[in-house]
Amino acid sequence: MQHIVNGFSLGAVYALIAVGFALIYNILKFANFAHGGVMVISAYFGYFLSKNFHTSLFTTLIITTLFGGLCAVIVELIAFHKIRHNNSPLIYYFVSSLVITLMIENLIAIFKGATSYAYPVFFKETSFLFGETVISYVNTLIFIISSVILIILMWLIKYTKFGIALRAISFNLGVSKLMGINADGVIIITFFISGLLAGASGMFLGISYTVYPQLARIVVKGWIATVIGGMGSISGAVIGAFALGLFEVFLISNIGSSLSTVFIFLITLGFLFLRPQGIAGEIFTEKA
Amino acid sequence: MNSIIVFALINMFGVLGTFLLTALTGHLSFGQASFMSIGAYVSGLLALKWGLPFPISLLGGLIAAAMSALLIGLPTLKLHKYFFALITFGFGTAVAALLNHFTNITGGAMGLSNIPCKTNFLLVVISIIITIGLIRNFVKSNYGRMCIALRNDEIASEAIGINVYKTKLLVFVLSAIITSYGGVLYGSFVTYVEPGMFGWTKSTEWVIYVFVGGVNSLTGAVVAGFILNILPELLRFVSNWRIFIYSLFILIIFNFRPEGLFGEYEISFSMFNNVYKNLFSKLNHRN
Amino acid sequence: MLKIENLTKHFGGIKAVQNFDMQVSEQEIVGIIGPNGAGKSTILNLISGVTKTDTGHVYFENKEITRLNQYQISRMGLARTFQNIRLFKGLSCIENIKVARDCRISYNLIEALLSFPKALKTEKNMEKESLKFLKLVGLEKHNDIKPGNLPYGLQRKLEIARALFTQPKILLLDEPAAGLNTAEVIDLVRLINQIFHEFKISIVLIEHKMEVINELCDVVYVLNFGNTIAKGTYNEIQSNKDVLEAYLGGGDNA
Repeated sequence: MQHIVNGFSLGAVYALIAVGFALIYNILKFANFAHGGVMVISAYFGYFLSKNFHTSLFTTLIITTLFGGLCAVIVELIAFHKIRHNNSPLIYYFVSSLVITLMIENLIAIFKGATSYAYPVFFKETSFLFGETVISYVNTLIFIISSVILIILMWLIKYTKFGIALRAISFNLGVSKLMGINADGVIIITFFISGLLAGASGMFLGISYTVYPQLARIVVKGWIATVIGGMGSISGAVIGAFALGLFEVFLISNIGSSLSTVFIFLITLGFLFLRPQGIAGEIFTEKA
Repeated sequence: MNSIIVFALINMFGVLGTFLLTALTGHLSFGQASFMSIGAYVSGLLALKWGLPFPISLLGGLIAAAMSALLIGLPTLKLHKYFFALITFGFGTAVAALLNHFTNITGGAMGLSNIPCKTNFLLVVISIIITIGLIRNFVKSNYGRMCIALRNDEIASEAIGINVYKTKLLVFVLSAIITSYGGVLYGSFVTYVEPGMFGWTKSTEWVIYVFVGGVNSLTGAVVAGFILNILPELLRFVSNWRIFIYSLFILIIFNFRPEGLFGEYEISFSMFNNVYKNLFSKLNHRN
Repeated sequence: MLKIENLTKHFGGIKAVQNFDMQVSEQEIVGIIGPNGAGKSTILNLISGVTKTDTGHVYFENKEITRLNQYQISRMGLARTFQNIRLFKGLSCIENIKVARDCRISYNLIEALLSFPKALKTEKNMEKESLKFLKLVGLEKHNDIKPGNLPYGLQRKLEIARALFTQPKILLLDEPAAGLNTAEVIDLVRLINQIFHEFKISIVLIEHKMEVINELCDVVYVLNFGNTIAKGTYNEIQSNKDVLEAYLGGGDNA
């Protein structure tokens, strides 16, 4: 039971990551590895904010989230904007996003080096008992907040004008532009939103683990979640994330952390072999 | 100074492997460096624990790499490029995790030491020259053409009879073999390897070198790979910032000269011929 | 030579092709026409293996090719061109031609890597042969430039030459005259006639421009909304009332 709770908690964070990631994939059709970079820098930001200004959990969260959004927009402007206007092939976006994360990771390592930081404790009592399971306050909060954010996002995409524009662009960028949709604007806003998610997930990751430069690599879990859940489907990303979270907790408690990395790799491989469209998605095929 | 060049040349095997894969299939791999790990560890173990002679342990390393490439290539090269990239990343982490875990075999985080030293400067230089020659021949052959075709347009390639999947697999396995060869040389040169040596950062560095040189130019990959590798050693004082500076550099290149420094330019024998002929005729005129 | 039975293809709720039958004999030119969206390109995709059919069979020279991959079908002798010209932008014109025979070549990987004389000789022969095909379409002076720099009409011809270089027994052309002006169309018809008589192959032609169909085709199939509504010679279908209704009822025509 304890595992299930922990798994859901982890799954919630993964879901935030996966959705932010899937958002960019759906619109621009590339895997935005820079998401990880924004996550880690937000994690550090949130840490220093709460440590130096003694802000409460909510305040830190809100400011960090906005910071994440801002970072994502900056990333879009320096890494992707010109490439899009150059009409460079997809591969350039991908390498660009990797390079950004590499840069951020190294910059942080240079300045803040080998020490890892732990977020200050936000609550007087860290956890409560539910029957026999220990549930930490922070984890519960993370779960609730993540779920709320995701629900708001789904509503946004399905029912608002912005959401429709977003979906139009993801089908066909050129035609959308012709129809009068300000593609650049929508893309910047999309990056902003994905950055908000990155900011929040970065801070949550920082709280759950500790803050260290390689935090960025956890974005790979977001990738894996989208593979398991299905590419091109936001709800699929969520399902995949929770599945991954539960599974990972289960594995770690049974075979330790190194081997579970190997197992998760093998399972992802297996999924790609047997069901590449994931649980909920479709395979993207080219038309002649 | 000698060893700086040797390291740069050994690193070049990774750059060449990355070039082969990216230039000829358009796929990106973030676990290429793991093939170097595999080459180093497998050959090192074969030499150390079973006392096998160098050629055999070398072969063992290459075969191990080829088989791992098959393992991850078979399911993913059929799918969208994104899946392949993701799996290579996962592969990198999985290999490192495995090496860390089985401490009694691999020495775990402490690494593997006392690998017999069999490599010297000459071997490395000759190997690199031969490898570059082989790659050049590959690119100029029908395989090279088919690869560029499938990189440009997979559907049209299939329409003229190219088995895209099989060709990609071939190129991927070759790139793994080349990279692992570098790993074998590394292991038997330094006589020590550890799991953290060849990670995601290294794989990405190689990708950066290839793109700086120009993803369509073998010459670019070689020149950029060599110089960018040596540079930090010569400029010790900025070595911390090296990756940051390179990342910045490539962002600038992507934004303003996406075809890379060399574009599609290649050095070829005919160029040397022309230079030679020009010199020759000038000498004749003097007389 | 080519026999198609009962092909059906649905994309989601849309019935792109329904119960399509067709026969093509040796040395025959068959045309497929129909308003936009009638399913013509889909049929070509189904035959050549780009898309898999929901029902039915395709037989090529009495062998079933329904479930085969594109490259396998190509190697059996079926070549095609694409509606929106898919040339290889990273290869020069002559390389675009050469690559069409690359998978059928006689030297292997080791010989290639080590530059064996056999490989070098084969390459020289390929060079000669490719130049011949470039000459066929009038592009012999452009052999070293990238196709992206060619005018549209020449790009079309290059694509046809490339398909031809695979030594097919049957050639499927997807709207070859699309985007061409009158002079280019006349030139194209001349080229197709030349190919037909010189290489003695069969041709399946999807077209909108009626003068092309009229000039070249022995038999014409007319499609509308995925269904075959008429089949016959050009004169026969020209006066068919279903065909007239399909076209006058809002479809595209020459």
